Amino acid sequence: MSEHNDLHHTTESSEPISRRKVLAWLTSMGILGSAIVTVFSNLVFIKPRATYGQPMRFSIGTPDEYPPGTRIALGNQKVAVIREGNKMAAISITCTHLGCIVGVADTGFACPCHGSRFDQDGNVTGGPAPKPLPWFELSMAPNGELEIDKGKEITAGKWFTV
Amino acid sequence: MVYRMSDNSQKKSVLSVVLGLPSAVWTSVFRNDLPHTDLGRSRTSFTNFFLHIHPVKVHKHTLRPWFTMGLGLISLFLFLTLTVTGVLLMFYYVPSTTQAYDRMLDLRGSVAFGVFLRNMHRWSAHGMVAVVFLHMCRVFFTGSYKKPREFNWVIGVLLFLLTLFLSFTGYLLPWDQLAFWAITVGTAIAGYAPVFGNEIRFLLLGDTTVGQEALLRFYVLHVAVLPLITTLLIAVHFWRIRKDGGMSRPAEADIVETNEAAPTTIANVPAMAFAGSDGINVIEKKRYGIQGMVRGPFTKVGNVPDNSVFSYPNLLLAELFVFILTILGVLLVSFFFNAPLEDPVNILHPPNPAKAPWYFLGLQEMVSYSAFWGGVGIPGLEVLILLALPYFDRGQKGIGVWFSRERLLANTLFMTFVFVNILLIIIGTFFRGQNWEFVSPF
Repeated sequence: MSEHNDLHHTTESSEPISRRKVLAWLTSMGILGSAIVTVFSNLVFIKPRATYGQPMRFSIGTPDEYPPGTRIALGNQKVAVIREGNKMAAISITCTHLGCIVGVADTGFACPCHGSRFDQDGNVTGGPAPKPLPWFELSMAPNGELEIDKGKEITAGKWFTV
Repeated sequence: MVYRMSDNSQKKSVLSVVLGLPSAVWTSVFRNDLPHTDLGRSRTSFTNFFLHIHPVKVHKHTLRPWFTMGLGLISLFLFLTLTVTGVLLMFYYVPSTTQAYDRMLDLRGSVAFGVFLRNMHRWSAHGMVAVVFLHMCRVFFTGSYKKPREFNWVIGVLLFLLTLFLSFTGYLLPWDQLAFWAITVGTAIAGYAPVFGNEIRFLLLGDTTVGQEALLRFYVLHVAVLPLITTLLIAVHFWRIRKDGGMSRPAEADIVETNEAAPTTIANVPAMAFAGSDGINVIEKKRYGIQGMVRGPFTKVGNVPDNSVFSYPNLLLAELFVFILTILGVLLVSFFFNAPLEDPVNILHPPNPAKAPWYFLGLQEMVSYSAFWGGVGIPGLEVLILLALPYFDRGQKGIGVWFSRERLLANTLFMTFVFVNILLIIIGTFFRGQNWEFVSPF
């Protein structure tokens, strides 16, 4: 019969699959696929490939600028530089809870947003913070200036000796 | 002579055209005179774009002030106020970290009514969050989310979330301390979402921290993306009200007072009612009801409850009254209270305590116990439960009645939900001080 298409003979199913059904199915899949590609490409578009913020690796000057006993917060870099004797460390001051900037005191760190507290080494002593404040790699550049790399977290307590 | 005559008649016709101009323009715009008859009221509602959103006739029960309290209308009017004041504020605002805060200060000094418009915008936004929530409570406690209105409840929940998100994105724009830290905390909460948390946060901020990219993104979301989606959903919400049979009401409200012989089921209506001898009576009764009053999802000719009155003027006057009250409220609050503006952003020093806007303080209180459960887990579950609610609570009793005894359990549960959230907000607002420690406000 001319009204039946070829697919009818190749399929085992008792229901004949009409050409119209196959075309409708292909069209639907085509439209659905295009919709998915559209949504996906829009998401790709709004995800920036480069950002304009602070670089991950930056210089903080010579060790002389940080005399022993220093506990100072660098605001733009969001890192605390600590020196005890000739040992130095760079500890993040972004709260591990919800990203507020913790206050730096001699006794440790305290977050004003949700009350998280950390000891001098950044370990959690109270509040909702789930993790200690991370330590970043501190190194000496050939020109005698200290460099912090926020891309490299190191184990807490691993001091850098100057 | 001939020439003169034609000149004369032309003059006359020009004069008549000029004199007839007002009524010609009126007719071209409104089609009808101000209506004095029922037919006129019906025609006016049909032919006017803004009026045809309304049904021609509206149920008396719907017009009871204490049934709806006009909360949905107030939400709409606040949204319109926000649109108008928002567009005006856009003339002076620049979404730039170096300029945004200065522009806020400029509103005080160099823009006529600048502060007043900002006040109106801010207080309307706060008001809209509150009123949309109250509207949701009204719909729940009157059982109005039940079949056939399940989907409109879902749209309503989405509109509530959009309201919160609109308010949240607007919060960052002044680029003051309050804005900056509220958004820092808010987007960090998004980072706790499972699997895609950090991706969502990065897409929202356009960067790893809150900065220029985030300000621009929030601005675009606030002035274009979210208002468009909200407007669309409001249109669907309103359309569904009529398609779902108007406002919910108890079955008793449909007992026909005026015509005892009125048919109660469609089967009782003679098929040829309009042509039959007693059809005259039906036509007399139903002439304006056919498209106006819909009981179920579809129009049922001849089965229209007659406890209804014409929308023009009954519903319109009620709406006008609610509109005037809303605008009056916004104007009064904006006159007496200035919208807060804190110091410009200082990335190193979060204010202590750093608090989100009041409607997120319940969330912030929960977040202070656990970032995931307080910020993502519990709120996410709450939203899911709200969305799924009408599909699980399927009983058909107690619809259209405040605090129906037959819905004691559902109402008690929802009341608990409301009170817990209000309690958390009160704790977050008044009982949390420096470092989010517990303090007494007294």
